Amino acid sequence: MKTVAITSVPGFDEWREASRECLAHGIPPEDIIWQNVQSVQDDLFGHQEQTRATNKHQIKHTIPKSALVLFKYALCHSDTKRFALCYRVLWRMIYENRNLIQLKTDEDIIQLYMLVKAVKRDAYKMSAFLRFKELEIEGKEHFVAWYEPEHYSLEIKLDFFRTRFKNMRWSILTPYRGAHWDTETLLLEDNPDPSAVPDDDRIEKYWLTYYANIFNPARIKTNAMLNQMPKKYWKNMPETSLIDDMIKQSGARAYKMIIDGNKH
Amino acid sequence: MHDKLIQKLEILSDAAKYDASCASGSAGKRQAGKTDKTGIGSLTGGSGICHSFTPDGRCVSLLKILMTNYCIYDCHYCINRVSSNVRRARFSVKETVDLTLNFYKRNYIEGLFLSSGIVGSPDLTMESMVRIAKSLRLDHGFKGYIHLKTIPNASPELQAEAGLYADRLSINVEMPTQPSLNKYAPEKDLGAIHGAMNTLKDKITEHKVDKTHSGKRPPRFAPGGQSTQMIIGADDSNDKIILGTSVKLYSEQKLRRVYYSAFSPIPDASQVLPLKPAPLIREHRLYQADWLLRFYGFTLDEIVHDEMLDMDHDPKLAWALRNRHIFPIDLNKADKMLLLRVPGLGARTVQKILSIRRHTKLNWIDLTKMRLPLKKLKPFISVGDYSPNIHLLDSNNFELQFKQPKQFELFGG
Repeated sequence: MKTVAITSVPGFDEWREASRECLAHGIPPEDIIWQNVQSVQDDLFGHQEQTRATNKHQIKHTIPKSALVLFKYALCHSDTKRFALCYRVLWRMIYENRNLIQLKTDEDIIQLYMLVKAVKRDAYKMSAFLRFKELEIEGKEHFVAWYEPEHYSLEIKLDFFRTRFKNMRWSILTPYRGAHWDTETLLLEDNPDPSAVPDDDRIEKYWLTYYANIFNPARIKTNAMLNQMPKKYWKNMPETSLIDDMIKQSGARAYKMIIDGNKH
Repeated sequence: MHDKLIQKLEILSDAAKYDASCASGSAGKRQAGKTDKTGIGSLTGGSGICHSFTPDGRCVSLLKILMTNYCIYDCHYCINRVSSNVRRARFSVKETVDLTLNFYKRNYIEGLFLSSGIVGSPDLTMESMVRIAKSLRLDHGFKGYIHLKTIPNASPELQAEAGLYADRLSINVEMPTQPSLNKYAPEKDLGAIHGAMNTLKDKITEHKVDKTHSGKRPPRFAPGGQSTQMIIGADDSNDKIILGTSVKLYSEQKLRRVYYSAFSPIPDASQVLPLKPAPLIREHRLYQADWLLRFYGFTLDEIVHDEMLDMDHDPKLAWALRNRHIFPIDLNKADKMLLLRVPGLGARTVQKILSIRRHTKLNWIDLTKMRLPLKKLKPFISVGDYSPNIHLLDSNNFELQFKQPKQFELFGG
């Protein structure tokens, strides 16, 4: 039995390194215990074998780039089983079927796609629902956001924010990591302090005004809204504070539209 | 000063909510500041991001506002018609530009969707709209999405200029037929609308296909194409007439998208209008049918059997119920076009089936793993180890099992 401890999140690079080593030693998936940071601490007395660099004649295994992309997404999932699953798929691609990832009825592949899908959705919601607030730092505008992704989605979306807001100074803070951009360099910081995010923003009132007025009270479809924007996201979206009242008043507003319309 | 801006925003976003379109995608990929230190924004290449959702279930992707709701026209279905008593307001070019940029910087939106009432003359209105788009692009290096609702009677030169800065242009046909336009929008002329659409179509294709004799491409022109909107249920046009109009707009004017908007009561409505809103389910069925016409290889006659779509079943299921003789379809053998006709199989699932088929034969257990809507599929398909009871398809009360409880409310709230 070999124990591999991944000490960072999401842990893609460490996983890749460890997987290469395990493959080089021909260690099958069922002989590896993958641990993340927390479970290592719980298991202080477990034995960690030192097998590093004992095998010189490494065989170079190649896998399709499309599979690597899938692993990258899957490894940003918060479930610790991601490491073992990805290694098992990797192993099976090499020894069983090179085209395994196309076999969408295979149990491992179904699992892998489920992780990928969850991460993609979480990352998409981050690019959609994250809200910047404006600060002034040394006379320059700086935009700060606090966001709580379900998975390690910051890593997936950094490129998006860097591209879209390249000439803007911004900081995105999540519970596990913060990213700071000064229009040229990106600085990462673990466990950032959420109190750096201001409560107010000078434009927010216009956004709330827009949100309340672009909505049509004659066609309430609360479930359609909740499917796309479940309540777990509401906390950091200022406009969601209006929703309850908008729904409560919609009946009366729609009724008034009809009554007014029929007065002539 | 600020409170005044809030009031304007209230009036001019309220007036824009009757437009169904919120799309902000399919205009390609681009980004600001790739080589220099100016500008803001990007298009990601896919469909645009929905930054929020309102309780009507609609996506908020763009700052969708009217430049002004003053209007010299008297279209009955429109809340901003000259004879309506609504409060009026007008944004300046700078106010619109600042609001767009400030919203964009906070990650509220993908860009701007600007339309307008006709103030002064069509040309004067169009000119101000173009100035807003031009200022965003040239003064601020804005690379986000811009959709301009063009004014049909504005000069071709202004239309052409709009296309240089906008990602998408649209002209609403509003009503599917000229008689309906005569009744509800007396100043609008279907021929003129089609003419303006054709001008835009030529410009759009010119950029896509040709290089000029000097080998250079003509300037970028509305890469996201054009779209339009029809109001459903204000006039008495049936679904076949409505979808027939769409089919022509897609094939002749090469529209990217036709939107359907169920007529909904407006404050201070005109007497010619119906008193009640059109059922949302009708709008929903039209969108489903529109999709089948564009992506699933169905023809208009196949989709609309009668004059109206079946409200109880989605149009694909309704077609299958009328054509039971071609079922069950063997998922291991049928070609793509046939698979697309199976109720419960979407385009993506069909692609998946085709890719799996290359490696292995499909059995029932595989369908369960793929999380398909088995109850719906069951009577219409066969796989390696499963085929349906043939009598089921022939039974008289077969379609009853698909009947769903009413989901859509006629009146909100």
